[in-house]
Amino acid sequence: MSLQKQQILNKEIESFDFQSGGEASSNLKNILRKLGVPSQTVRKTAIITYELEMNVVIHSLGGELTALISEEELEIRVDDSGPGIEDLDKAFTAGYSTASDEIREMGFGAGMGLVNVKRYADQIDVKSSKEEGTHVKVIINLTN
Amino acid sequence: MTKKHSVLLKEEKCEGCTNCVKGCPTKAIRVHQGKAWIKEDLCIDCAECIRACEYHAKYTKTDQLSEILESEYPILLIPPSFYSQFSAKISAQKIKKAIKKLGFKEVFDVADAAAALSRKTLDFLNNNSGTYISTSCPVIVRLIKLQFPDLIEMLIPLKSPVELIAERVERKFKEEKNIVPDIFFLTPCPAKLTTVQRAIGQKTSFLSGAIGVENIYQNIYESLEDIVLEEEENQLTTLATLWGSEGGEESILKSWQNINTLSVSGISEVKKLLDEIERNNIPEAIRYFELTSCTNGCIGGVLNVINPFQSQFNLEERIKKIREIMQKQNIDLIRKDDEFYNFALSNKITADNVSKLDNDFKKAMQKLEQLQKEIEILPGLDCAACGAPDCKTFAEDVINGRASRTDCIFMLREQLGRLADDLSILANELPPVMGSKKEEADDS
Repeated sequence: MSLQKQQILNKEIESFDFQSGGEASSNLKNILRKLGVPSQTVRKTAIITYELEMNVVIHSLGGELTALISEEELEIRVDDSGPGIEDLDKAFTAGYSTASDEIREMGFGAGMGLVNVKRYADQIDVKSSKEEGTHVKVIINLTN
Repeated sequence: MTKKHSVLLKEEKCEGCTNCVKGCPTKAIRVHQGKAWIKEDLCIDCAECIRACEYHAKYTKTDQLSEILESEYPILLIPPSFYSQFSAKISAQKIKKAIKKLGFKEVFDVADAAAALSRKTLDFLNNNSGTYISTSCPVIVRLIKLQFPDLIEMLIPLKSPVELIAERVERKFKEEKNIVPDIFFLTPCPAKLTTVQRAIGQKTSFLSGAIGVENIYQNIYESLEDIVLEEEENQLTTLATLWGSEGGEESILKSWQNINTLSVSGISEVKKLLDEIERNNIPEAIRYFELTSCTNGCIGGVLNVINPFQSQFNLEERIKKIREIMQKQNIDLIRKDDEFYNFALSNKITADNVSKLDNDFKKAMQKLEQLQKEIEILPGLDCAACGAPDCKTFAEDVINGRASRTDCIFMLREQLGRLADDLSILANELPPVMGSKKEEADDS
């Protein structure tokens, strides 16, 4: 039994690219289905990755999504190059959002992004600074 | 050999083009040796290939009228969409009489069960939290089973109107007349036909068979000529005739209660919606989705005879008349006869897990790696000349041993190029014996 995780996806996410926003999450969903991951886990992953992906599209200067898998767990890393989350505690508060009015008019920025990610993830770790951007690492257990 | 599906290939008509291959929403078709074969595990009977084929090589196998009428006690169930095939000036009673005259013992309106089902649906939504998807279109249910298995729990666990009325009619004849009837459905689409053999959420279907609208329309039309209604008979029936076109189910629900619903028709649109639902990108306030595979709903069914635009008009005209009559009466939300229906599905709807590369995780991972490498190598033009709809699907066929890499004309060309290079090198390299002789000859 190897605990070594293998990379199954690495995708660049561009800032304000609403056309392709959601592609990383769709691609990952298809890959997980091919690997025979249970459908409810696939759903959780789809929700989490879509939220994180759209966060990069809406709030950041661009970044990438990487997925790694072993038989035991799925690791999703979303790294962007800034500008960072000012107040991490607030970002995990339901309803809190720094999204602009324009973004809200598009139906985004309800302040549920990270809250939802936390709800569906088994582990979440967020590091953020103005200089180094935001780095989210999410773990989803694949064994019951 | 029994086929699982009702969409079939007429081999002699297939030209081997890839129009159907590219148009198939589940990528179930491959052209092999010049013919377009349907992979049974992936087919959901949506009939998009029938629409895409210029050569009419894809068809629906339904029962024939003569065969049906040979049964002892044939009964025909008429869907709401069928009334769209006639001008609203021809009353429903007249149409039903014309059908009976062909040799059916009885005819029943599926719309009656649809109305009861709508009442039950509303009741269900009011007593359960969450969002649900209608199970009335069998294509949508199969699509979810196949490609969106995590949304199965959203399917409302109630029978389709056809099965509801078929079950009720069967029981009625058994109990009241001690007759076991043969119940047939007048179907606008191949998918409903498939459910006769492969019922959804039930052990077996209550139907004996189904006949396509196109297989009986002419007979009904001719039979209509000498039908005379004895007196001013009640114009039909129920507003649930609305179910025949997109948004019908939704507007019935909304006519009783202010409820958030959404209707989407056309399989590619439905797939987009399900993708959004899957990633929670749809307002939670929506309680119910009415989804149909055919654009415009059942009136867009591929077995219908009249074009969908004219059908839409015909149905709207008929509904106007029904509304006029209804305004004079008071329609109750719950009808007494609803208790005669057995709404609940007896079996759980289960996933069709066919997208897995392997049952063993490690093997699946190896295959995934191979697959990603194979995709890298392929040209990515999605030309379908290999017989698969796109390079990614072809790559999957290759690593599963169902196709060989040189089925791709670009890969074949590359390989030929390499072979030609090798050949020319070989051709120019003379064997040492000959070489020495040649040198000697030059010397002399």
